[in-house]
Amino acid sequence: MIQLKTLLTCIDNSGASVVECVNVLKKKRPATIGDRIVVVVQKQRAAGSEGSSATALASKVRRGDIRHAVVVRVKKELQRDDGTVVRFGDNACVLVNKAGDPIGSRMNGIVGQELRGKKWSKILSLAPVHV
Amino acid sequence: MAALPTMRQLGCLRSLIKTQEAIQPQLARRFISTAYSQRPQRVPLPQNLPEQFLSQLPTRMLPENAPKPIKVYTPPPSARKACKDPIGKVTELQLETLDPKGERKALFDYRRNPRSIKPGDIIRVTFKNGDPFNGVVLSIKLRGIDTSFLLRNELTRVAVEMSVKVFNPNVQSVEIVQRAQRKIRRARLYYMRSRKHDRRSVENVVNAYVRQKRAFMGGGKR
Repeated sequence: MIQLKTLLTCIDNSGASVVECVNVLKKKRPATIGDRIVVVVQKQRAAGSEGSSATALASKVRRGDIRHAVVVRVKKELQRDDGTVVRFGDNACVLVNKAGDPIGSRMNGIVGQELRGKKWSKILSLAPVHV
Repeated sequence: MAALPTMRQLGCLRSLIKTQEAIQPQLARRFISTAYSQRPQRVPLPQNLPEQFLSQLPTRMLPENAPKPIKVYTPPPSARKACKDPIGKVTELQLETLDPKGERKALFDYRRNPRSIKPGDIIRVTFKNGDPFNGVVLSIKLRGIDTSFLLRNELTRVAVEMSVKVFNPNVQSVEIVQRAQRKIRRARLYYMRSRKHDRRSVENVVNAYVRQKRAFMGGGKR
């Protein structure tokens, strides 16, 4: 249930760590896994902690930037076709550009499998684990 | 001017009348409209009525306008009598196809089967498409065909909970990795969601189990 003002963790290496949802796209309801949202970067990841090569990547987004993102984990339980219900411990997203390609090049953290059905297989392949 | 008793001498009989009324006070108090009176019976026409008299009768009383007997149909056979417990029957039918040997049912029937999976155990579920899910059993909901269990685990430092239907045809196997170490006194372990009681990741326990299993099975899959 991602809606206006929801704070999400950003799990890619684009440089953002906490983002705030400002709009849910193509939907009149709260966003869930695989939905595209508009976010404002609230907190940047601490630069320099990931090495000198990462600092260049970390400057991809700044605090206050407005970006598109794809929700990859939600706290709200999600029922699949076979009756299985999945619930994650937090809300998380991945920043994407207008064309739908992820801004970061790496992701750390589990993502939901619903991304496959919604044509986000590029994000799915970047993720280390999916459930 | 009020009537004096001397003027109306029969007034003394009034008290007698009143005692008779007291015998049936209920009836006396009834309204006229509520008083029950039997419906007047229809008087049949005389048998040997000459035909020339028929024209003198009102049309509703003519023999051809006599009320026809209403046809009474027998009610359809009761579905309830045919099948006393339809939901139970459907459940049985579905269990026959989904769990013919009753193994799954026994594996999760923690109320009756002492060797079943119980809340607090660590189990490993393998789906038909190959990916496994491991976790601590937080609860088992015994609901006939909708029986399900809730698993909790931590993957990449994020808590993941998954509720799986026991008779889900997509579930290939369910293995008990580790029994609960202490006796658990509750049926629902939702307190394990709190930070204090969180079991955190069970991946290392499961990995050890998988390694051990492979050693026993001889080589395992490469």
